[in-house]
Amino acid sequence: MISAPSNVAASETDTTARGPLVLLLVSALGWLLVSGVLALIATIQLHTPGFMAACPWLTYGHTQAVQETAFIYGWAANSAFAVSLWILGRLGGAPLRGLGLLTVGTVFWNLGVTIGIVCIMLGEATAVSFLQIPAYIHPLLLVAYAAIATPGVLAWTGRRQQGTFASQWYAVAALFLFPWLYSAAQMMLLVAPVRGVGQAVVAAWFAQNLLSLWLIPTALAAAYYLVPKLTGRVIANYDFAPHGFWALLFFGAWTGTRHLIGGPVPAWIPTVGIVTTLVLLFHYVIVALNLRAGLGGGRGNVVLGFVSFGLLAYVIGGLLDAIFSFHVFAEVLQFTYFPVAQLKLAVMGAYSFLIFGAIYYLTPRITGVAWPSTSLIRAHFGLAVLGTVVTVVSLAAAGWVQGKGLGDPVMTFASIAAATRPWLLAATAGEAILLFGSIVLTVHFVRLQAATVCPAWGSTSALEASAS
Amino acid sequence: MGKHIRLGGIRVMKNGLLLFIGIFAAIGLSWAGLALGTNAQLGGLAPYYDQLENRAFPERAPGIASRGKLVYEDLGCASCHTQAVRRPGFGSDQDRKWGDRQSYARDYIHQERVQLGLSRIGPDLTNVGSRLKSPDDVFKLLYHGTAAMPAYAFLFEERPALAQPSPKAVGRSGDREIVPTPRAEVLAAYLLSLNSPADYPVEKAENTMAAVKKEGEHK
Repeated sequence: MISAPSNVAASETDTTARGPLVLLLVSALGWLLVSGVLALIATIQLHTPGFMAACPWLTYGHTQAVQETAFIYGWAANSAFAVSLWILGRLGGAPLRGLGLLTVGTVFWNLGVTIGIVCIMLGEATAVSFLQIPAYIHPLLLVAYAAIATPGVLAWTGRRQQGTFASQWYAVAALFLFPWLYSAAQMMLLVAPVRGVGQAVVAAWFAQNLLSLWLIPTALAAAYYLVPKLTGRVIANYDFAPHGFWALLFFGAWTGTRHLIGGPVPAWIPTVGIVTTLVLLFHYVIVALNLRAGLGGGRGNVVLGFVSFGLLAYVIGGLLDAIFSFHVFAEVLQFTYFPVAQLKLAVMGAYSFLIFGAIYYLTPRITGVAWPSTSLIRAHFGLAVLGTVVTVVSLAAAGWVQGKGLGDPVMTFASIAAATRPWLLAATAGEAILLFGSIVLTVHFVRLQAATVCPAWGSTSALEASAS
Repeated sequence: MGKHIRLGGIRVMKNGLLLFIGIFAAIGLSWAGLALGTNAQLGGLAPYYDQLENRAFPERAPGIASRGKLVYEDLGCASCHTQAVRRPGFGSDQDRKWGDRQSYARDYIHQERVQLGLSRIGPDLTNVGSRLKSPDDVFKLLYHGTAAMPAYAFLFEERPALAQPSPKAVGRSGDREIVPTPRAEVLAAYLLSLNSPADYPVEKAENTMAAVKKEGEHK
């Protein structure tokens, strides 16, 4: 084995799972690049509709569906698997078991996502948001998921300590809720569709909970683990943490239908969504209270910087969700780029930043090799922050302009397109910066993996950015 | 060292089983409430039978339109177009002449995959069949695009023009003409079929009563 730098605590618990976890992370980063390229094409198509229009498999409907699928089922899923399994193993106090199944599951999951994306491009998309992969591929994904989740279940049931920690609740919840959520949505939308607008309600429930019950709990598992580790301080007001957890699960699960306001559904459905979005503020307050040590930013510690930005984006996003679910704002902003900006803030600003922090923290621990360059981590941080801020702000502004235009009955769609164009150009620049940041991370990750084979590739100057 | 920091002096949720039950209760409740609740309320919604016209509304789409709907889904039209007119006083939907009335749950009962849509980069299409008069209008729109919509030229094909030009041709250059493919034809049939029936008495009565009640409250 390669000798680890002195301050990398590569324990047996971590290194045994190295192969499968690196496979998950490599797949995640590959999909991050794919979705980044597609997101760039899709935003260009927003301000220049003719872009790639001659290509039947790259219509805006397809690029949008593919970038969303690659992001959620490619990047977010693979990285969520890697981070939650690693945390469950760490906190379970024993090396992960069932690693063979994990590897096979990972291969088949990514095979399924690849086939799904090819099918979407060929015109087989389901036209259901966040569930665009054709129905016949879903069983493959579910079986692959069962294999991937096995080490997590074993780590949870075989944990050595009686007590459990907030990270574990969130990781276990994410692990168990995804297959339920996913198979329920699949049944009610694709296999045996419910009648009429019931489909819109189930679709809204599913899309929100993919975030609230799967990705966000995973990211919070990472945050609750990393903040005490990186700041060296205990979690403040930890007694409240269970309330924050249950608030997310019990109220967050109902918030999706707020988007259906004014739609052809019974009025109680959007109302429940709006009310629970407000009640959910309680959850954000507790998360901010618990993790306030991590909110302060990471002077000199760039990994903590990722976590801080992620937490900030999460809490601000929750506040914006509550404010803009009100009737007066929804009337203007419904069906515009504004909800797209809010989603971007959640999946890129909150989820991805917390996961980036976790990746920078865990990779040296599973490989036993430090990140080759601190400046590359800083470069990624700078690009990711800039890209996220530019994209979210300009999409939100575009949404506001678009919403005002839609509200004016004499304003044509051509003039709305002209009015939003400057903001959409800015959003394109933001997407390009984000893509560039992802390339930096991927290159750095590959270089670290190369250093495990040939130590000369690594660097001795930056031993371990994450432990500083 | 990390472990001491983690567990030092903090209360933990010890009961794994309770945690488990709670997690499933959370998803179960929201699913039962929203998915089953909606289905219980709307699952039995029946078409309205109009005795004067001797027809039931909404009517089922003709077969060619159903095939066109698949093209609509394949291309991802719902990425930019909604299919739901909002009520008066909530947005400018009816001022934009997208429909004489708001859309009701009853309008969608025959649709296998409801395409309400999330985004209005283009206009709402609930009643587009009443705005576009003929397949020709649709073909021109699809072939040329607009300032806000790309041209879908790949839905058309070039072929040698006969002495008698095709009535469907959208363009002609020399001895060749551009005609819609079968996909464009079924898509046009689908779009032209989109037209909500007149107001249903039940929903109309409910809305009138709600409006009267609201007026009463103000006084």
